[in-house]
Amino acid sequence: MALRAARRLASCSRQGRLLLPSQPQAQCNPPAAAAAAFLHSHATSFGYKQVREEEKSRLVGNVFSSVASSYDLMNDLMSVGLHRLWKDRLVSQLNPFPGMKHLDVAGGTGDVAFRVLERIKSVGHRAMQGTLTDAEEDTHIYVCDINPNMLNVGKKRAAERGYNEEHCLSWIQGDAEALSFEDGSMDGYTIAFGIRNVTHIEKALSEAYRVLKRGGRFLCLELSHVDVPVFKEIYDVYSFSVVPTMGELVAGDRQSYQYLVESIRRFPNQEKFAQMIQEAGFERVEYENLVGGVVAIHSGLKL
Amino acid sequence: MRRTASMLFSHAGAGAGRRSIPQALADLLVCPLSKKPLSACRLPSRYCEASGSLVSDAVRVSFPIEDGIPSLVPKDAKFLEDDMEKSEQGQIPRDSSG
Repeated sequence: MALRAARRLASCSRQGRLLLPSQPQAQCNPPAAAAAAFLHSHATSFGYKQVREEEKSRLVGNVFSSVASSYDLMNDLMSVGLHRLWKDRLVSQLNPFPGMKHLDVAGGTGDVAFRVLERIKSVGHRAMQGTLTDAEEDTHIYVCDINPNMLNVGKKRAAERGYNEEHCLSWIQGDAEALSFEDGSMDGYTIAFGIRNVTHIEKALSEAYRVLKRGGRFLCLELSHVDVPVFKEIYDVYSFSVVPTMGELVAGDRQSYQYLVESIRRFPNQEKFAQMIQEAGFERVEYENLVGGVVAIHSGLKL
Repeated sequence: MRRTASMLFSHAGAGAGRRSIPQALADLLVCPLSKKPLSACRLPSRYCEASGSLVSDAVRVSFPIEDGIPSLVPKDAKFLEDDMEKSEQGQIPRDSSG
């Protein structure tokens, strides 16, 4: 019942799409990128606190180590189960196909990876025997997360779901800003609720671009900015009062959830983030707001 | 080819190599710093089961494998010289430049 209500809420979400005008001069312009990197300050944000860059990754690490075990429960509670639908939407936009090589970054608990795998299986079975089962065998999903605790949760869940016998899932501890995959090795790249936590967003984007094949797709699901009057006020109260309290009661960790809501507000808005994706070299950049911008799915192609 | 790869995969899975990873995965991984292939102590195999780590010759660091999960986070990298002393495989010439 709750799920039905959630679906209704998701379907009446306001959806905005935008296709950015292409700016060829902004793309593939290393001097500009270098200048941007040079101008980047060496202080960064940890929620509303200003911290040194090296500090942020450690602090974010602490947050996720601390909440790993109750991560899924908290996601369900905080989003009233909606995060499941958002991830479904992300994966349906990815349009996975049998034989694909896919990288899911910051997906330690396997939420996105399992969905991609399930979808490929259903596509494979629908398309029938023979040729496609071979392709299905070539399918490989790489789950990369900087936090070992999150990966352990994911690995355990994979085993519970009977994926341990499957050869198409790999778990790698790695940094979104310095990926350990060959250039042009992936058909798809997803990052769900992860890019907000990296120290240098532009580095993560350029790494995503590097590991994708030509024609490969970048998809990012992230908590974003609500711009609908009244709803924005309600969302603010919810974020700053309800979420940290819930975090304290359920996960026994108020601070981590305080960080969470602050980091959402610090993250660039939809348009700005779309521009950053384009600056990393991606084309046909667009985004879709879900639930009035509580989350947004950004997408881009490496052409 | 594919069969061989998946056999290696299942073998690695069944063998429950806590300190190793499937060859197919090792083949695709590169050093997160240099983006060059990872190797294992100059052996033909690109991952080193014995020492349970992946080695990046280009920057002379090694990355650990814990519970079958390779840790390729740059800040977890260890300088190769330290590793060599521990595993007593002093075959690799040292660069004085470090």
